Amino acid sequence: MTNEDAARRRIGATAALAALVALLVLISLGIGPVRLSPLAVAEALFGGGSDVAQVIVREIRLPRTLLALAIGAILGLSGASLQGLLRNPLASPDLFGAPQSAAFGAVLIIALGLADVRSYALPVAAIIAAFGSVFVLLSIAGRNAGLLILILSGLAISSFAGAATALVMNLATNPFLVLEITFWLLGSLEDRSFQHVMLAFPFIIAGAIMLFSQRHAFRALSLGEETAQSLGVDVGRLRLFVISGVALGVGGAVAVTGTIGFIGLVAPHLMRPLIGHDPGRLLVPSALTGSALLLAADIAVRIIPSTSDIKVGVLTSIIGVPFFLYLIMRERRALGGGVA
Amino acid sequence: MRWLFGVLIAIAALAVSGSAALAANPPRLVSMNVCTDQLVLRLADPEQILGLSRFSRDGWQSHAGDISRYPVLSGGAEDVLLIRPDLVVASAFDKRSTRELLKAKGLRLAELAVPRTLDEARQQIREAGDIIGHPDRAAVEIARLDAALARARRAVAERHYRVLPLSRRGWVAGSDSFVGSLLSEIGLRSAAGDLGFNFGGFASLEAIVNLRPDFIVVSQAGDYAGDDGQAFLLHPALERFYPPEKRIVIPERMTECGGVMLADALDALTAELKRVGR
Repeated sequence: MTNEDAARRRIGATAALAALVALLVLISLGIGPVRLSPLAVAEALFGGGSDVAQVIVREIRLPRTLLALAIGAILGLSGASLQGLLRNPLASPDLFGAPQSAAFGAVLIIALGLADVRSYALPVAAIIAAFGSVFVLLSIAGRNAGLLILILSGLAISSFAGAATALVMNLATNPFLVLEITFWLLGSLEDRSFQHVMLAFPFIIAGAIMLFSQRHAFRALSLGEETAQSLGVDVGRLRLFVISGVALGVGGAVAVTGTIGFIGLVAPHLMRPLIGHDPGRLLVPSALTGSALLLAADIAVRIIPSTSDIKVGVLTSIIGVPFFLYLIMRERRALGGGVA
Repeated sequence: MRWLFGVLIAIAALAVSGSAALAANPPRLVSMNVCTDQLVLRLADPEQILGLSRFSRDGWQSHAGDISRYPVLSGGAEDVLLIRPDLVVASAFDKRSTRELLKAKGLRLAELAVPRTLDEARQQIREAGDIIGHPDRAAVEIARLDAALARARRAVAERHYRVLPLSRRGWVAGSDSFVGSLLSEIGLRSAAGDLGFNFGGFASLEAIVNLRPDFIVVSQAGDYAGDDGQAFLLHPALERFYPPEKRIVIPERMTECGGVMLADALDALTAELKRVGR
C-alpha cells in the first residue's frame, strides 16, 4: 500500500464518519417520547410550527444532541490521546478512574449542597478531581509504564473514587440525596438544557484544543521517547498537557451527564484498522467515532422499549466492558509476558 | 394501702383535667417516624413525649412550636428500650427488625400506615387520638381538616382546572394516588390519567410540555436546584410554559404524611389557587 492510498483511505473514512455523525444528529433530533414528523422537527428547529414543537426540538432535544456530540468526541479524543501518550492500546480515561474521580468531585458538591447543580462549581470540582486522578496514576506508573502497572493503578484509583463516592452517599442525611446521586452516577443525557451546554462546552472545547494541539508530539513519541526528544518534544510538558486536556474534557463532561464509560477506550480501537497506527492521525477519527457511538447509544436508549428509561451510561458500559475483555484477550501475550 | 394511694392519684388527675375521658393517665410515648412525630406533637401533651424520631429536627420538617425540648431517638431499638415508654408510635414503613425487637421485649407498639384516602386520614387521626389518650384533640383536628377541605372546594368553585402534580425527576403522582384523590376531592382534575399513570410514574419533559395542563403542582418555589431532580423542575422548557404564576406550590412536608398536616396542605392549596387565579 502506497502512502497515497493510505491518505485517500484515511480521508474517505473520516468523511464517511462525519456523514454518519451528521445523520445520527438528525435522528437524535427526530426521536423522543412525543412523536413529531421529520417535517415538523425541521420546521420547529428553524423557528416555525407550534410553540410546543419548537420548545421540544430547540430546548429539549437540541441541547441533548449537542451534548452527546461533544461529549462523545471529547471521550474519543481523550482515549486516543492517552493511548498515544503511553503508546499503549489499553489506555483510556475510564480504566484510569478519571470519570469515577470526576464523579466523586461533582457528587461532593451535590452532597454538601454548596452550590446549585447548574453552576460552574460542579464542572470545576469534577475537573480538579479528574486531574488529580490522572496525575496520581501517571506518577505511580512512571514514564515507561507497563500495561499491568497502568491497569492495576487505574483499578486502584477508580475503586478509591468509588469508595469515596459511597462514603459521601453513606453520610448523606437527606434521603432524596442518595437516590439523586445514584441516578446521576448512571450517566444520562436526558432532559438536559442549554444551561448544561453552557456549563460543559467551554471546558470540553478547551480540553479538545489542548489535546489536538499535541498531535505531532504523539507521532514523534510513537518512534520512541528518545527519538521524540531528539525531535524536540518535551515529554514532561506533553504529559502535563495531556493530563490537563483529559481532565478538562472528562471533568466538564461528567459534571453534566454523570459517568459515561468506555467510549474513550472503544473509539480509537475501531479506527485503528482503518486509519493505521499513527497516533496523530487517529485523533480526529477517534473523536468522530466517539460522537457517533454516544449519539447512537443515546438514540438506542430512547428506542429500546422498557418500563423505565435505560440510562445511556449503563448502556455504554454494558457494551464497553465485553469489548475491554476482548482487548485483554488480544493483549494477553503482552500482559502475561510482563514486558510491554 | 398502695392501691388506695393509686386511686387517690387517679381521682386527683381527673379533678385537675376536669375531663371524664381521661380515665387513666395518658401513656408516655416515643415517636419513631417523621409522620408519627407530626401526629404526636399535635395530639399528645408535651409531658407525654419522651422522644421524637431522628429526622424530627431536619430543617424541612419545621413543626409548629419549639421541639428542641424533646430528646431525639437514634432510630434503633437500644435507646427506646432504655426509655421504656408505655407506647411506641411507629410507622409501618420503619425498619421491621427494630419494630419486631421492641415488640419481643414487651413494649406496646402502635404501627400507623400512611393513609391513601381522605377517609383513611380521618380514621388515622381518630385512632391516634384514642391511642395517645386525647380523642377530643383528634376530633378538633378532623374538624380542622374538614373546614380546610370546604375552603379549598370554595376556592376551586367553578374553575375546574386540569393540573399535573409534578415532583422531582418528573415523578407524577397518579390519579389513583393520595394526591390524585385529594385533587379530585376538591374539584380539580389531575392530568396524570392522560399520561396513562394510575398509580404514578416518571414523565418526560417532552410529554409534560405536550400535555399542557393548566397548572403544575410542585412542592417548592424558587430557582435553586440542589440536585438533578430539582433541576428537572427548573428546565427552561418547563419554565417557559410554567412560570411561577402557573405553579401551585404545596410544601412537601405538608403532603407526604397525609395526617394532621393535611389541613395545612389544603389551606396552602387554597391560598395558591387564589394567587394563580387572578
